[in-house]
Amino acid sequence: MAAFSSFFSSSRTVLSAAIALRATFLLYGLFQDAYSPIKYTDIDYFVFTDAARFIARGQSPYARDTYRYTPLLAWLLYPTTWSGLWFSFGKVLFAVGDIIAGWMMFRILRVHQGLSQERALKYASIWLLNPMVATISTRGSSEGLLGVFVTALLWAVLSRRILLTGFLLGFAVHFKIYPFIYAASIVWWLDDGSKSSPSASPVARAMKFINPQRIGVAVSSFLTFMGLNVIMYIAYGWPFLEHSYFYHLVRIDHRHNFSPYNTLLYMNSSPKVPGENHASFSELERMAFIPQILLSAIIIPLMLAKKDLSSTMLAQTWVFVTFNKVCTSQYFLWYIMFLPYYLPGSILMRSPRVGVSLLVLWIVGQAGWLQQGFQLEFNGESTFVPGLWAWSIIFFIINCSILGVVIRDIREGKAASRGVKK
Amino acid sequence: MKQRITYIVQDPDSFSPEQLVVKGSSLTLNRVQAAKEQRITVGLDELPSELKKAFEQWHELHIRWASSSPYPATPPFTSRVTPGLHVFFTPHKDQPEGDLCRLLHSVFGSELKCASMSEASTKMPILSERFSMSTTSQYYSHLESLSTLVGFIQHKVCKSKACRQAAEALLSAAYVDIDYDAISHALVLNAFGATGPTTGYWDETISFESEAHSTEVGVLTHEKNPDPEDIGFGGFLTVLGQDQAPKPTRFQTPTRHYPLSSAAANYKTSFAHPTGLHPTLSLAFPSSHLTPPDSTCKLHAYFTLPSYVFLDKYQFNDALYLASHNLKRLRSIAGATDLEAPDWVTSQWGSAALFELAIPKSSETQNAQPEWNVTIPLHLRYLPAADNSHTAVPVPWPVVFWACRAEQGTKMSVNPFDRLHLGYEALFGPKTRFMHIPPIGGGNGTGGLVEWINVPVLDLRKSQWVELGTIGTVIVAFLGLCWAIFGGGKGKAKKESAKQKKKQ
Repeated sequence: MAAFSSFFSSSRTVLSAAIALRATFLLYGLFQDAYSPIKYTDIDYFVFTDAARFIARGQSPYARDTYRYTPLLAWLLYPTTWSGLWFSFGKVLFAVGDIIAGWMMFRILRVHQGLSQERALKYASIWLLNPMVATISTRGSSEGLLGVFVTALLWAVLSRRILLTGFLLGFAVHFKIYPFIYAASIVWWLDDGSKSSPSASPVARAMKFINPQRIGVAVSSFLTFMGLNVIMYIAYGWPFLEHSYFYHLVRIDHRHNFSPYNTLLYMNSSPKVPGENHASFSELERMAFIPQILLSAIIIPLMLAKKDLSSTMLAQTWVFVTFNKVCTSQYFLWYIMFLPYYLPGSILMRSPRVGVSLLVLWIVGQAGWLQQGFQLEFNGESTFVPGLWAWSIIFFIINCSILGVVIRDIREGKAASRGVKK
Repeated sequence: MKQRITYIVQDPDSFSPEQLVVKGSSLTLNRVQAAKEQRITVGLDELPSELKKAFEQWHELHIRWASSSPYPATPPFTSRVTPGLHVFFTPHKDQPEGDLCRLLHSVFGSELKCASMSEASTKMPILSERFSMSTTSQYYSHLESLSTLVGFIQHKVCKSKACRQAAEALLSAAYVDIDYDAISHALVLNAFGATGPTTGYWDETISFESEAHSTEVGVLTHEKNPDPEDIGFGGFLTVLGQDQAPKPTRFQTPTRHYPLSSAAANYKTSFAHPTGLHPTLSLAFPSSHLTPPDSTCKLHAYFTLPSYVFLDKYQFNDALYLASHNLKRLRSIAGATDLEAPDWVTSQWGSAALFELAIPKSSETQNAQPEWNVTIPLHLRYLPAADNSHTAVPVPWPVVFWACRAEQGTKMSVNPFDRLHLGYEALFGPKTRFMHIPPIGGGNGTGGLVEWINVPVLDLRKSQWVELGTIGTVIVAFLGLCWAIFGGGKGKAKKESAKQKKKQ
């Protein structure tokens, strides 16, 4: 136990362990790729590096099928087009991003949530020493890179670096769209600290809402986002808009995933046998974005952001992913990166019984679904209904239950009680 | 109208000239054991105006249909295509495309997946630009039988009983080609039967019809070739109404499709079960007969994959991965290669892929396993929900051949039996010789050259609660979270946390 605690007392040992973990995975990956027909490297990494190669030849990254990201990503990976070991440059970049994100988490926990060095390191290790996180980045998935942008965004807001906040927000939305949900919580959180008197006129209150910080974030994020879009549009034209934005809005990819809507989307989009009439609620699933956006981008930010910004961002992201029309396991990383801020004072830690049972439920939900998915994909059993559908609904309910607990914690100010609030 | 009928006697020893009898202007064959090719050339003006108009809309149009029953190939008829209906065509420049789908629906059957040819067809890849013979577009559909074509010819084209009988004979053909091009302004129908209709013999009389209807009949045997790249024939030619007796003949010709010397070579196609959503197609060869006929020869497989099954070209970039499947490389892929779209949004007919296959190293052939397996990982698209748990779909066997360098490529077209537009020649240079490996029948349950696989689909018989269940759950969860955010949960939560504190 003493060794355990001394391990977490030094940021140097934790960081070294985090680096060693990723270096081991990277080297192992090189070994597996060289000697096995089954690759360690993520399929997406081949998409990115192919796109980088197109860029290096002066072509559009969208010449590569299924490249659905900003051209910036392909540019970032330009060195992978050089020969030899440079191919792994992107994985190193993602892994370094991972570690920087973990380091920033530690700083946020230490400075903005007032945790002791040891506790801060323990909670940051949820990210830093998490084998799943290390695997994802060293296999070459770009989700790890997103972690560094989003964590930097949180750090910038908490330290009230307004222009940097705006820049990072605009950049993150350009990079992956979904971080737009943080706009409302960041703007709402950025008040000037003084309570407005209830007697103030609506105009006075509105004037008070529009403070310089909020204007700064709004303007700088909008300029960054639009600036990047204009540059990319000028450079790569319509395919840029089509693949990095519109595709995500109109995608018709019904292959099974964790989303509760998945079976319904498959059912309602598949062509009907003529003459047969399946009773349908007039394609209500088209309205799926309403509960998702209402909760994640409006209600949760407005009700909770002022109490605890980082935990609110956790709840927002979790709702966004849970209510999304498409949901794969890499999306889980989007909210896992906020867990270190929420957990320290949460009911999940205060009552291990609650914490462990919710964790077990979360894992069981996935395992049940994955088992049905395996039966479908590899054994060819038609498990769409009830199997896959029922498990996606069960997993959805489990996620919502956890969210209920998280939201109540934030409302009760459990987050605020665990450290200094600015 | 011109007709050329060629019989190729399989076993020269079984044949004697007495089996051919010319009486007046007709020729009778007695128990001739042979393969038969019947080629009819019709001027476009001799066709019903409806058909004439339909064909004139194209610069060239080549239809290839092959039966799914295995058949023995007899030189020079050794070329093969995948079972089903292939259409290769080039539209006129600067002219709107004609309604080819309507023509195909009325001639071959309304079940073909073809709403508009501009959407259903795919562009032909051309690896060898000097090979200018290729058409621009390609279309394919599974088609079990030519019964609709036979009915169409009998009702819309035929004027005589002989014509209707000849049309009927198409039902037993191993393959049928229909060619049209704007330059010759003629339609050529070519039907190949591997064996005689009953007990493998041809007992028939071919009669002279009219001056406008010339008929030439050849009965030939394959002779050991004098030149390594030529094939030679000897036998008898008879022009009906002109020749009083069969005329002896002997000739040799360069040939694009060259017979394979090793008669025991063959392959079998199957799928590893369960097929799931990622079926793996396997080609099995007897390893001992898998030595290249010539040092320039490379083994290839050409796949014609309907839209519901596809391959991910990016999987085939890695040498180790290729080697683990006994593949050399993916030489070409064209068509519907979207990796995500479900079948119902894929309007193209499918995709065509050419693989170069690995062969056992010569040191391995002696003591290695008797069977050499090449595997191709494929993927299935989602098929529409149905009142069933699975939908069965046909996947035709690929064609497998050695592609070898030839010295005299350009002369191959002088071969009177030259067969072009099979989809894969354009992927090779003009100086290429093809030596086909014959498939041996198998097929899961069909005995033919088509594999049927069961694709799991959403079963509509079990899905009545999906809509209500999904929407109900989402609404309840939404309201529950709203209650957690706004509602009276706070008081209760406080109580609970007080309890927690007591416990602690």
